[in-house]
Amino acid sequence: MQDYENSSITLSQTPPALQYNDESEGIITASNLKKIYSGITVLNIPAIQIRDGESFGLVGNNGAGKTTFFQLILDLIEASSGEVLVEGEQVARRDEWKAKVGSFLDEGFLIDFLTPEEYFAFTAKVYHKSEGDIASFLESMKDFFNGEILGSGKLIRDLSKGNQKKTGIAAALISDPQILILDEPFTALDPTSQIRLKRMLNELKTTRNMTMLISSHDLNHVTEVCDRIVVLERGLVVKDIHTSENTLKELESYFAV
Amino acid sequence: MYKTLFRHYWLQTVRSPGYYKNVVVNIFVGLMALYFLVVFVMLGLLLPKMLQEILPGNDPAVTFNGIIIYAVIALLMIRYLMQPLSRLNLHSYQVLPVRRSALVNYLVLKPLLNPLNYILLCLTIPFSITGVYPAYGTMGAFRFLFIILFLIWFNTLLAPLLKRQFNNILFGTILFLLIAGGLAALEYFKIFSLFLLSQNLLGFLIETPFICSSVMLLSLLAFMLNKRFFARNYYPESFEVKSKRSKAGSQRFTFMERFGKTGEIIALEIKLVLRHKRTKSTLFTALFFLLYGLIFYPNPIYNQNPGWLLFVAIFVTGTGMLMFGQWIINWDGSHFDFLMTRDIDTHTYIRANYTLMLALCIVSFIATTPYFLFGKQIILYHLVAFLYNAGVNIYVYLFGATLNTKRLELSRGSSMNMQGVSYKNFLVMIPLLVIPITLITLFGLINATHIALAIIALIGLAGILFREPLLRVIEKQFLRRKYALCSGFRKKE
Repeated sequence: MQDYENSSITLSQTPPALQYNDESEGIITASNLKKIYSGITVLNIPAIQIRDGESFGLVGNNGAGKTTFFQLILDLIEASSGEVLVEGEQVARRDEWKAKVGSFLDEGFLIDFLTPEEYFAFTAKVYHKSEGDIASFLESMKDFFNGEILGSGKLIRDLSKGNQKKTGIAAALISDPQILILDEPFTALDPTSQIRLKRMLNELKTTRNMTMLISSHDLNHVTEVCDRIVVLERGLVVKDIHTSENTLKELESYFAV
Repeated sequence: MYKTLFRHYWLQTVRSPGYYKNVVVNIFVGLMALYFLVVFVMLGLLLPKMLQEILPGNDPAVTFNGIIIYAVIALLMIRYLMQPLSRLNLHSYQVLPVRRSALVNYLVLKPLLNPLNYILLCLTIPFSITGVYPAYGTMGAFRFLFIILFLIWFNTLLAPLLKRQFNNILFGTILFLLIAGGLAALEYFKIFSLFLLSQNLLGFLIETPFICSSVMLLSLLAFMLNKRFFARNYYPESFEVKSKRSKAGSQRFTFMERFGKTGEIIALEIKLVLRHKRTKSTLFTALFFLLYGLIFYPNPIYNQNPGWLLFVAIFVTGTGMLMFGQWIINWDGSHFDFLMTRDIDTHTYIRANYTLMLALCIVSFIATTPYFLFGKQIILYHLVAFLYNAGVNIYVYLFGATLNTKRLELSRGSSMNMQGVSYKNFLVMIPLLVIPITLITLFGLINATHIALAIIALIGLAGILFREPLLRVIEKQFLRRKYALCSGFRKKE
């Protein structure tokens, strides 16, 4: 508790650039993190910290290790070495972090034999939300759903890929998490929904100071939403930049081979 | 072209993950098949004698001829219910310059290559030697087999067509039952005898050399009907059977919500059971198995044998738990990542699964209380079996579930489905059934079955009383296996 108080003092006094070096700052800290599949290192991150309230964009070509990194943070795979801490607590084989994190990676995060309403209700109940909370949350999602998800009388397995994605993203947000982890949230969404999602994420960032980890293949989207971009290549961090007006160009020239 | 298509089918089978891993299960299935094969051959050899006993004075071959049309109708019904439709990912081939008729022929004719369809020959070939040959001679026996073969083809081709045309299984079943009932009634009231018709027709066909080939026309007709169906329904969407779902209402099990997260998870599992084909049909099978005791309890051969009695008692009083327990945790495979990242701690998750199995145990036990009418002995056995199921078998299943990392496909067909089953499922049987039955049989030898029953009951009681430490052991095991389960469940077959 004391550590936390000290760190919040430093937060207000020191300039942002220095905060990277302070261990206690990161809401998510990974150290010496490695994942090796049958002799091939697919992820190797000596040290990385993600600060509270930071929007963290992860880009990289296929097989760069983006999803692997997220799966390690969510304790879905075992690290070959190293560890991930959320608010100073280890995630591996633990349950405490789950209350703070909302996530959607792929269809394994959907319960496909439920209707969207049942799925939202189940997720919310697990986080001890009341009926009123659920109703007001779904009301706030109305624009994003575009009238296609609620009351359609379909099971999630019968929804289109785009609507499944929207359902999963909404369920990740329903618990009002401190940390949000989304794997390629923009793919399979129609243009309108992409823009709405960007607006929604930016709003969550400013109003709730939500920490976000977002991977994307779309450099435009990710630079618009995230204020820090990390580029992975074959499991290694090759770039770690603060987003500025030059970032998009920098990334484009990096990926144009 | 056909060669390529069959090659692709072969590759699809062989390359499905788990094909090689499943050796033990395949051996088990193979042994079952061998067993049935032997039974059929024996039946075929003994059939003339049996038919003579049923209808004395009649030639067995002639009697058999009488039931052939009935058999064709009954087998068509069974095929209609059980035969899986051969599928082809038409979309991926239709865009290629491949003749459509080749694809259709492949789709229609593929079932003919399934050896399972010819199991009836195991019965008819021996019968043709022992029954038909004495009555009709060598050529007659050959013609008989020839007719049977084409009738099998006729059935195999017609059943998928019916299935595609009348997708509504319930309606189809009722229709079949009505037809069968109607025919039986006509037979019974001696208005029209299909039996005699079948007898005369088949007798005539077997005796006349060339006309018997007209049966071939029957299978040809079935084939042409199939072709016509596909010509009319050009696009796959009009014939691919999809579970058409009218509006799925959201259901709430409000009474479950009182139990917090545990209740929510149990409510989720109940929905899982009710909304998947495979689990739903298991539910019906379980209801059927509840009646299992009726075969054994009244029969003096079994009810004098303590081993049998205990086996039946454990099986009947634990039906629900034993049937669904084999899938526990694994059936969450398709949404396992979700459950593992939500605010559901391991303790709650394991606890919820335990509670669900306990509830199934209690429900099955209550449902089998009518068996108490069979006497005090049965009451005693049922109580012991219940204690053993609740105090031992639940933990065995929960522990065993952490070892099976195969993803269970619940939406796929149900009858005799071995998908997602591994040798570990059979391994679990040892503590489940073998240990108590061995124990009681051994004590039975020295006339002390009551001591064995007391021991088994005490073990069960201890299991119930030491629930917390036992569940903690399972939690630890679950956490140890968590990553293996996660990655196993991500692999689709």
